Amino acid sequence: MTKPTRLFLFVSGGILAAGLGTGLVAAYVGGFQNLTLFAATGPDELAYLPADAKVVAFANVREIMASELHQKLQALVPRNENGLARFQEETGVDMTRDVDYVLAAIGGDLAAGPEQGRPLVMAHGHFDNVRIEGLVRSKGGMVEDYKGIRFLKATEPNGGMDMALAFVEPGLIAMGSDAAVRQAIDGHSGSANATGNAELTRLVKDASDGNAWVVARFDALSAAGKIPPEVAQRLPAINWLTLSGHVNGGISLAARAEARDDAAAKNLRDVLQGILALAKLQTGQRADLTAIMDSVELGGEGKNVSLGLSVPIEVVDHLAALRTPTGVTPPPAAP
Amino acid sequence: MSARPVPPTFATGAVRVFSLSLGEMLWSRRTVFLLLVTGAPVFLALVARIVQGSGVVPLRVNGAAVDGGSIFGMMIWVFFLRFIVPVLGVFYGTSLIADEVEDRTITYLFTRPIRRGAVLVGKYLAYLVSTTLVVLPSVVLVYFLLVPLGQVARTFVAFAVDLGLLALGLASYGALFALVGAALKRPLVSGLVFVFGWEQIALLVPGYLKKFTIAYYVQGLVPHAMPSEGVATLLQSVLRDNPPALVCIVTLAAVVGATLWLGVRAVESREYVLDQ
Repeated sequence: MTKPTRLFLFVSGGILAAGLGTGLVAAYVGGFQNLTLFAATGPDELAYLPADAKVVAFANVREIMASELHQKLQALVPRNENGLARFQEETGVDMTRDVDYVLAAIGGDLAAGPEQGRPLVMAHGHFDNVRIEGLVRSKGGMVEDYKGIRFLKATEPNGGMDMALAFVEPGLIAMGSDAAVRQAIDGHSGSANATGNAELTRLVKDASDGNAWVVARFDALSAAGKIPPEVAQRLPAINWLTLSGHVNGGISLAARAEARDDAAAKNLRDVLQGILALAKLQTGQRADLTAIMDSVELGGEGKNVSLGLSVPIEVVDHLAALRTPTGVTPPPAAP
Repeated sequence: MSARPVPPTFATGAVRVFSLSLGEMLWSRRTVFLLLVTGAPVFLALVARIVQGSGVVPLRVNGAAVDGGSIFGMMIWVFFLRFIVPVLGVFYGTSLIADEVEDRTITYLFTRPIRRGAVLVGKYLAYLVSTTLVVLPSVVLVYFLLVPLGQVARTFVAFAVDLGLLALGLASYGALFALVGAALKRPLVSGLVFVFGWEQIALLVPGYLKKFTIAYYVQGLVPHAMPSEGVATLLQSVLRDNPPALVCIVTLAAVVGATLWLGVRAVESREYVLDQ
């Protein structure tokens, strides 16, 4: 091997090693975020969700709060700052800055009563544990140790559902019904959790491109009364429904339904095709809505049916202008 | 009477050919092409960095600023996966044996006391080292130019996966086209048809045809969203049939092993007729 060849190998290898080394150190210092093999299997917190989760939803709060769309919407429809300020004062949590992302799930049989459809919310961010614990105590709540984890419990005076909150990991809290939070802790330390549900993890993986998404069993939605019975009866057999959205300048949405079989998927495509044609007729005269309707694409193959649409920021601006009285310009978005 | 010298083993022969070919490969005219191709993304990343440094957002989609990590993901897709890796595989892989035939130097290699197959394997290893040591540092430079240090913790795993899958892609395409170069008379044309014809069509056709491409398995490992401005791409990414990572890795490893073995068989059995 000649000297120039050795020099080349040394320089190339050096760049590669320096890059990997720097990245490794930075990732180590930053706590190795997103450390999942091939990083596309959904959030790590799936291991806290119940294996029989019927609905799983995720929102990257930090990205959505920082999005241009949110800034515009905030300018258009101001939030109840008093409520947020009070919440921050009591808990020490600034919803706009301290929460990174939220993952929620509902497990059990939704039709069998509130005890069965147990909600669970996992929130990742920067939390003042002491202040939150103090708040729960001041409201008459109790604190206990459950499998080495600080477990806060509050019972509603009217005899409603027992609510609980647990600091399961640094920067990660689990909230929900008492039973759901205990199940989350048990599931994470064992193997009976959502990561063992191959069908669910596959759908979560597919949906996790967006910064907000929902994966739901269709029968769970209809049993919970989220879909009007007259609509549910007329729809072809659907197993799973996935909604994935990316919020940034505008919104890109992709909905996907997994039907029971190919014939049911074809029926659903036909139904949606008809609805879309009707909607296009109805919105033909509205330039703002036409832009949205033109972006709608219906597709899918086999058992899958997909529907995508995009709402560009210009359309949001246009809708904002319609809401704003003439001569008043909405305040510019914060940088 | 002295003992007859023992011929080197297959592995020793391959290593000798590797050390001889590495220098030749690095300082050939083809390397200029390699540097131009891998230098382009670095140049663009540098421009984006300078633009960003001056306070201007380098890329906007639907009016929204695209962050450095997303631009890096786009560059991995657009430059490296869809162009650089397959093109380098075609140009270098097909030339491993074809160049020796064209230059009429293959006779000298085949008269050495090493197995013919070791020549192919040694040259393939030289290809792998020279391309990975040009492509991967280029990716490292693009990454650190585009992604702020504060985002490294969040994106490092994806970046490491990018490096691994690009190396695997180079290995797979290189091995396949080494076989093509060893077995076919016009390997470059066949290689270009495979990469820019067959793979592009098969990936768009619904059904199982995409499983007969290398791109399907390499793209199955990509940790970034498929780039596109419109809904079509969003739909494409949602509908993309993502094979499990383990299936991708095992398949690509099998492609490397099988095509190299077939390439060795082809080199050892084929009679290369040199043009006069």
